[in-house]
Amino acid sequence: MARKIIIDTDPGVDDTMAIFFALKSPELDVIGLTTIFGNVHTALASTNAVRLMEIADRREIPVASGVADPLTRAFGGPVPYVHGEDGQGNLFLPPPQGQPIDQSAADFIIEQVMRHPGEITLVPVGPLTNIALALRLEPRIAENVREVVLMGGNAIVPGNASPAAEANIRNDPEAADLVFGAPWQVTMVGLDVTHKVNMKRKHLEHYSTINSPLAQHIARIVPHYRDFFERTYEVDGIFVHDSSAIAYVIDPSLFKTEHWPIRVETEGLSRGKTWPNLGDRLRPEWENRPRVNVCVEVDSQRLIDLEMARMEA
Amino acid sequence: MTRKMIIDTDTASDDAVAILMALQTPEIDVIGITIVAGNMPVAQASINARYTVEICGKQTPVYDGIDAPLTREIYRAYFFHGPDGMGNMNYPAPKLQPQPKHGVQALIDLIRENPGVELVTLGPLTNVAAAVVQAPDIVANVSRCVVMGGAACTVGNITPAAEYNIWCDPEAARVVFRSGLPIEMAGWETCRGEANLTEDEMHYCKDVINTPLAHFAIDCNASALAANRDWLGDPGLGLPDPVAMAIAIDPTICTRKSKHYVEVECDGTYTRGMTVVDQLNVAPYDTANVAMWAPLVAKGEPHITVCWEIDAKRWKELLYKTISA
Repeated sequence: MARKIIIDTDPGVDDTMAIFFALKSPELDVIGLTTIFGNVHTALASTNAVRLMEIADRREIPVASGVADPLTRAFGGPVPYVHGEDGQGNLFLPPPQGQPIDQSAADFIIEQVMRHPGEITLVPVGPLTNIALALRLEPRIAENVREVVLMGGNAIVPGNASPAAEANIRNDPEAADLVFGAPWQVTMVGLDVTHKVNMKRKHLEHYSTINSPLAQHIARIVPHYRDFFERTYEVDGIFVHDSSAIAYVIDPSLFKTEHWPIRVETEGLSRGKTWPNLGDRLRPEWENRPRVNVCVEVDSQRLIDLEMARMEA
Repeated sequence: MTRKMIIDTDTASDDAVAILMALQTPEIDVIGITIVAGNMPVAQASINARYTVEICGKQTPVYDGIDAPLTREIYRAYFFHGPDGMGNMNYPAPKLQPQPKHGVQALIDLIRENPGVELVTLGPLTNVAAAVVQAPDIVANVSRCVVMGGAACTVGNITPAAEYNIWCDPEAARVVFRSGLPIEMAGWETCRGEANLTEDEMHYCKDVINTPLAHFAIDCNASALAANRDWLGDPGLGLPDPVAMAIAIDPTICTRKSKHYVEVECDGTYTRGMTVVDQLNVAPYDTANVAMWAPLVAKGEPHITVCWEIDAKRWKELLYKTISA
């Protein structure tokens, strides 16, 4: 039976690729999208998510809008130089026909998790505000989810949003510290692995040759995003962030993981840095925290092959 | 015409008296009580609130809310209110059950369904913050939001800088203070000094008024009375939540008030939870302040009403009236 997942997302070019990757994977049953600020403001994330479901002709998949700001501070603002002003590579598509459902993201997550105990995998690929809020509203979701597989963080590599921190975690470090500290199984798919998955121009150009509206949409939105990576990191193509989390849910054997408790720095220059406590001697601040399943190595070629194969299927 | 009111509370003994005052005021219709973590865990606070509703002979719905601050660990001041929050009087368990709906959803729904409703908060602002971040539209439906919390340009109680309700969940308080809600801040200092119930006044309640509600109002505060005396060194019984409720019921009990920008310190080492009142209105005008205060200034003119002084005699008269039935 396909595994039920909820993707919490701020689409976003790589979010779009991840969502479509999930929709094309028979192992996964995407039961809903919840939206969050990050790459774009939450309202635009919702608009984009609804449109993506229309492009994929999956209008039955509900989109629930999340909160507009981090738990404790104002949102620092979107990153149009990465994802475009519209979060979709500056295509400026007409508005979708549908709308988000009349339920908040946190309430949707709570309702689905409690209705399907042990079945739902949460896949947040944006800041963790909705997830933390859901935990606070209904702590029992921790024992009722199957697991949480999130894109975010950097255990033993530098950050991208700042020298210290990865963008999703930096956008709401307080929420992230709650999510890493809750009594549930969290897998962290962070920069430790996503910066090792390099989808090259030849892969990206292949999307335009695939005869499906999903691949065609990716082909149209990806150039702006690719240009950012090539300009900033002097690489050929892009790093695969959000799709790596989807790949983990489909096939964890793509990754090597370590089990470390994680704390998140919430102040100062290192705000948003995810700090693992390596080894068995735990400092007091890390004691009594669950061990997070931290991805540290990845079979990059096999991951890219998997995603490309799914998009061609 | 009756006024509709929602009370959000971490019900311990002084909250109980405040709830009682609202329930015993004929022109107030309490349409819901939502429970938040604070001095008590939600489960115990809910019991205390429902017991209070029952002894007032009411069926007011009680909704259990969030059982922790938004992002922090809970810290409970058990030493202040006693383990059960009600002076260890061994009150029987209430028959009234909590509603199945979550407290935050109840806040959202009740406010949406009742434009013009008045909100009175007696605990940390966690529920209210979670409600406004998920449903910002509710702000426009709240005609008054009376907050028992903070310390306006004066000392705190849980720390030298901060009052407990704000300190307990400063992030939530910041969200609420920035939300645009028409806040009337009744800081803890408004219940001190002349506002304390003296020994004579407590005897008056029990021996002269001598109703079951009068006994309840004084007896359940036994632990608070001892803490007030031994810890704060204040004579008599301080009743912060009932003073805030008195202002909510009769705004003229607040005799000096003014509107300001008020921010909540979330990061300070010594000042976590401090309510910073821009008394001189410098926030919008000086480069030292502009960026820091932008989230509040962007909302327009200063809109948080700070209550500076109350008419202690009239607050007590209102208390006596509500416990006389």
